[in-house]
Amino acid sequence: MHIKNIPTVLTAVAALCVASGAPLHVVAQTYPTKPIRLIVAFPPGGSTDIIARLVGQRLGDKLGQQVIVDNRGGAGGTIGTEIAARATPDGYTLTMGTTSTHVIAPAAYAVVKYDPVKDFEPITLVASTPYLLVLHPGVKANNLKEFVALAKSQPGKLNYASAGTGSTTQLAMEMLNRAAGMDIVHIPYNGNGPAGAAVLGGQVQALFGSMPAVLPHAQAGRVRAIAVGTSKRSPALPNVPTVAESGFPGFEVSLWLGFFAPKGTPKPVLTRLQTELTAIANSPEVKALFEKNGASAVTNTPAEMNKLMKSELDKYGKVIKAAGIHLK
Amino acid sequence: MEATIIQNLALGFSTAVSPINLWYCFIGVVVGTLIGVLPGIGPVAAVAMLLPLTFNLDAVGAIIMLSGIYYGTQYGGSTTAILVNLPGESASVVTCMDGYAMARKGRAGPALAIAAIGSFFAGTVGTILVALLGPPLAEIALKFGAPEYFSLMVMALIAAAVLAHGGMLKTICMIVLGLLVGIVGTDVNSGMSRFTFGASGLADGLSFVVVAMGLFGFAEILSNLQDKADTASRDILNQKITGLMPTMADLKLSAGAILRGTAVGAFFGTLPGGGPTISAFSAYAVEKKLAKNPENFGQGDIRGVAAPEAANNAAVQCAFITTLTLGIPHGATMALILGALTIQGIAPGPQVMTQRPDLFWGLIASMWIGNAMLVILNLPMVGIWIKLLKLPYRFLFPAIMVFMAIGVYSVNNLDLDIYMTILFGMLGYIFMKLKCEPAPLILAFVLGPLMEENLRRALLISRGDPTVFITRPISAGFLIATALLLAFMIVPAFRKKREEAVAESTAL
Repeated sequence: MHIKNIPTVLTAVAALCVASGAPLHVVAQTYPTKPIRLIVAFPPGGSTDIIARLVGQRLGDKLGQQVIVDNRGGAGGTIGTEIAARATPDGYTLTMGTTSTHVIAPAAYAVVKYDPVKDFEPITLVASTPYLLVLHPGVKANNLKEFVALAKSQPGKLNYASAGTGSTTQLAMEMLNRAAGMDIVHIPYNGNGPAGAAVLGGQVQALFGSMPAVLPHAQAGRVRAIAVGTSKRSPALPNVPTVAESGFPGFEVSLWLGFFAPKGTPKPVLTRLQTELTAIANSPEVKALFEKNGASAVTNTPAEMNKLMKSELDKYGKVIKAAGIHLK
Repeated sequence: MEATIIQNLALGFSTAVSPINLWYCFIGVVVGTLIGVLPGIGPVAAVAMLLPLTFNLDAVGAIIMLSGIYYGTQYGGSTTAILVNLPGESASVVTCMDGYAMARKGRAGPALAIAAIGSFFAGTVGTILVALLGPPLAEIALKFGAPEYFSLMVMALIAAAVLAHGGMLKTICMIVLGLLVGIVGTDVNSGMSRFTFGASGLADGLSFVVVAMGLFGFAEILSNLQDKADTASRDILNQKITGLMPTMADLKLSAGAILRGTAVGAFFGTLPGGGPTISAFSAYAVEKKLAKNPENFGQGDIRGVAAPEAANNAAVQCAFITTLTLGIPHGATMALILGALTIQGIAPGPQVMTQRPDLFWGLIASMWIGNAMLVILNLPMVGIWIKLLKLPYRFLFPAIMVFMAIGVYSVNNLDLDIYMTILFGMLGYIFMKLKCEPAPLILAFVLGPLMEENLRRALLISRGDPTVFITRPISAGFLIATALLLAFMIVPAFRKKREEAVAESTAL
């Protein structure tokens, strides 16, 4: 009930502002007057979808308009992201961009019909999920050093699972393969769930898995966590060292998720969204929810986001080229 | 051990039976059924659409309601399969075969009732299995690697040849065609697209709903409309409605089928990736093999409804085993339900059972309550559904077409999917004229990509050594069973026509 009234109140406030001679703020203060579509370029139920829904619902509460999650999955997230790039830039279409949609897909796919930097207005990051290197408990290695030694003593014998060809889980392991001079063979699975099951069942030995997917198994002792891919240790697993401190300085792989609007969205709208989203991501409630699931709340500015995308495009582009990944 | 399980179940029931949770369960089941009867809107779409409803509930209420929606849609899907030949999700394809034939003979009532009864029985057994054997069963499921899955699927496909009542050659052609249709999309290993003709909407392959709605629903409408004689003959009913409830004879005939269907469903349902589809197809194949009069199957045999429905529902229940004990979702619907838990601030996984026993056991208890509610709700509704059949076809078919289009669109929000459905509808019409059964094609279409994926994965892990399929005992077992099945079908076929051969071999 009360939600319905908010736009009316806002309109009234805006009208007052016009009367009192503050036209610059009008767009920001009347926005939004109708529900906002949040395109998620992945099917419902995945980690991107969950984070989008978590944040989207709260954004809706703050803006007084519903934020409707529109799942447009397919083709590694490129279908939905392309739709978002082409949408009317009026602030009523937003998308949840991730390392996958805005860095890996443009670098790995032969044809992607959007430019991650030129076609979007980055708003802010909201979350980042670390990657966790886990082993089946039967593997005789208690830390990354021992694992590298083991892999080197039997080249081409060990296997690692990934959530699919061209997924971050593959690229993370390929980066490690290259950095350590190992030859662990890639076995692609269809998503994080099946890849996790393969390591639990001992079908493959290792997985550089997304934290939310593998953390519960690591906590239950079903898999052995030996390293995190972030630059700092994860609060969820304070005893697990980073890859960087285990002998590979500078190694960093994580999946970031942030909000994007189509290029040309009015500045006041972007500012308003950035304010609200930053507040949501930094609220203790959301922080705790993210942390429980192995993610962490992160916010930044549009300029920082563009810089991040450029450096990541460069970093992953090299791995993709070296590993010979071409997606069509 | 037993005492703790009783304690646990008591905790579960005390959680689930609270008036508010019963209410959530009821809402879920009702809404699920109502959405499930809309053609093309399967459990995934329904759960995704209704997910926001649960945001403001507590975790227990939310998951109880979502599970209710899940069972409800599953059951609603069978209702349309029986009434208008529209399978709501892949497992209902099997129900179409005899269920729709029964409906045309005026026996939609008994078909719907037996589907409800069979599902309830299977649901009860499934719930008990989850409660008693959940964790150990999950361990067994983990033993299934790529070679095991591949061999299992080969067996399921060969068994499908038994399904069709057309010629053996036609069935094999349909299976091969189904495998080819399943190839469309991105290759998992190399990331290359196959048969997509540059359409990004095909990058993830054709969706099941597109193929099934086309081959079954759309083709059925085309064939009904070509019949120009008089409008009355187009109506689905071509015989008077005889009774709403199953007769004693029906029940007697179905009892065995329900028991066997439940066992088949419980087995396949536990395996992540096995699931309701294989269960329903296999249960049907088992019944047809065991029947003294297999020629009745496809003509409206009640066992052809009872067994797959029971199997399907047992599999759905058992799907909760890996989801809850390992946190590994069993298909898209389960992934969504796990997603809902995450939104509630609960990390899904093995620790849910120990950290939130009220949630875990409450859900198990509510599974049973949800199934009971489905029966209570649906048996009286049988009469209402039947009335739908009496609608003149000129009103019914445009309505079906519209809902079908909405349903197909709702899966991926892609208009290409609607065009593809029309294409498959025309194809289905040609198959009908050629007397080729679409069911084996659908099974091959569903299993093909999984089979290929697991074959290649198995060979990747074995570094190209094909003996892995016979050196791993579980896999070898499936392959031996497949070989026996093949021998069973092919050897007599050299001598006689297949119908006679089947009659003979089952009489032995």
